[in-house]
Amino acid sequence: MSAIQANPQPAVFEEQAALIGADAERPKPRRSGRLNRSNLIAYVMLSPMVVLLGIFVWYPLANSVYLSLFEISFYEDPTFVGLQFYEYVLTAAKFWNSIWVGITLVLLVVPAQLIVAFLVASLLRVLSRHTSGFLKTTIYVPTVVSFVVASIIFVFIYRERGGLLNGVLGWFGIEPIAVLSNPDLALGGIAVPALWIGVGVTTLIMLAGMLDIPDSYYEAADLEGAGYFQKTWYITLPLLKNVWLFLLVTLVTATIQQFELPLVMTQGGPYESTTTPNLYIFNQFKDPTPYATSFSLTAALLLFVVLGTISALIFRFVKSDKAIDG
Amino acid sequence: MRTRIPNRIVQYVLVALIAVSCLLPLAWMAIAGFKGKTEVLRTPFQFFPDVWILDNYVAILNDPAFLRALGVTFVGAVAFTALSLAINSLAAYVFARLDFAGKRFFWIYCLAPMFIPGMAILLTSFVVVSQLGMIDTLWVLIIPGAASSLQMFFIRQFYLNIPVAMEEAALLDGANRWQIFVRIFLPQSQAPFVIVGVASYLVYWNAYVWPVLTISANQDLYQIMQLLRSFMSERSTEWGLLMAGSTIAALPTIILVLVFQRYIVNGIRIAGMK
Repeated sequence: MSAIQANPQPAVFEEQAALIGADAERPKPRRSGRLNRSNLIAYVMLSPMVVLLGIFVWYPLANSVYLSLFEISFYEDPTFVGLQFYEYVLTAAKFWNSIWVGITLVLLVVPAQLIVAFLVASLLRVLSRHTSGFLKTTIYVPTVVSFVVASIIFVFIYRERGGLLNGVLGWFGIEPIAVLSNPDLALGGIAVPALWIGVGVTTLIMLAGMLDIPDSYYEAADLEGAGYFQKTWYITLPLLKNVWLFLLVTLVTATIQQFELPLVMTQGGPYESTTTPNLYIFNQFKDPTPYATSFSLTAALLLFVVLGTISALIFRFVKSDKAIDG
Repeated sequence: MRTRIPNRIVQYVLVALIAVSCLLPLAWMAIAGFKGKTEVLRTPFQFFPDVWILDNYVAILNDPAFLRALGVTFVGAVAFTALSLAINSLAAYVFARLDFAGKRFFWIYCLAPMFIPGMAILLTSFVVVSQLGMIDTLWVLIIPGAASSLQMFFIRQFYLNIPVAMEEAALLDGANRWQIFVRIFLPQSQAPFVIVGVASYLVYWNAYVWPVLTISANQDLYQIMQLLRSFMSERSTEWGLLMAGSTIAALPTIILVLVFQRYIVNGIRIAGMK
């Protein structure tokens, strides 16, 4: 969505749009000369978008890059310090800790999300129309719950007194567990709502991919006497390869950037065990020490470049034939 | 195609399990809103209260700050959605239909922001809105995020599929571009506008970080999620009240999705990913 407004569902809408837009083979509209040559009206109609993006995206981005390369102080002219800030960031132990937290969160959330989505999508495909419609809507509902509300619900779920989790454990005579104040468990406690919010859209995308597989493949397999698991292994999984890859990239980049859940649920604690990279950067913004802002901007840009490069490489590898007509 | 599953019962059990695990946290939140102060934290734990009370819901709906936040956020979300649709559909039309000098440059210029993560420009955007004097006004929530590459791209995909014949006829009749956009394209924009409009509304309604940064001093403009979060810090002992508030804050988004579910669920389609 918008680059600025904190997006409650970072991956969700992007995935939808990317998927709908992922069609390179659309019939192009016929272009006749008289239908298309119109400089002035085009500029007029485009101007609101161009102006807003200029003021609220491109200028701030240029400024971020500038601040990460120059040393700014109130007393003297900015001096070019080159990649010095980048060096600071890369040698900061806390930055690496946050990267590690982010990677751990990805490992907790993404594989589970892909597997659950695949299983639920497989079920959806064989349900009757009516039932599958009901289930599709149901799994989509958590997607629209805001991170703040989800955080509040799950903080309450994990409570020692009155919490759902410890209440259920209590029925089995298990002592209450303080999930969010235990450094070993807190990140797992954040992974659950992340999974709960994200799994609906992932499932629907997976299902759309499955419905694209021609029935004749399965019919042929049936004739050969293949069982359900063989069909899944030899037909469904290989043909969904691109969907898997697409989801993997978008989910990894979205999950490693997650910071609203830990911001509300744990404020990054206990002992920084839930300080994801973006939460670390966000907290640095408010740091009054000199150059903390430059430092955090540099960290943000660094993260952006690394993630962007990885995704671009993967997509290039998968969709080398895809081109956007301008 | 149908894989034969031996037993319908198994299917229904699975469906019920999945549905329950999706809805359980939300149901629990709503039910906790009906519990009194002692019920909500009672041990041994129980899911449903012994006595259902409406006090929490009544109290939260009589809280002037909460009501104001609901109202202000609703007004802002509607304005934001309308502005987003206007700006992005105009640009989508231009890129789908018109040819002009510098089109390639502007295409990249308008599309690339999709890939710029918010965190890289959060602070510098804050500097910009401060310099523009937008801090603590409703404008800061509505204007900066209104232009969206993603939405523009999404709407353009629909526009590319609208047949050219009608336009050609209209052009021959002497209609200008603006008339074509308003009379031919807008009436056919319902499906993409619903999907994109709902998404805009949700983004605005659920926003937390940006309002917290930009609307900190002006309590009259507190957005609903911001208010809920401050509520959580200040009145952390009143879980029943907090749950009632969260339920009411989440309700509009859930209703919106249920109303437009057909559009949204069908909107997730894979094209060209084979």
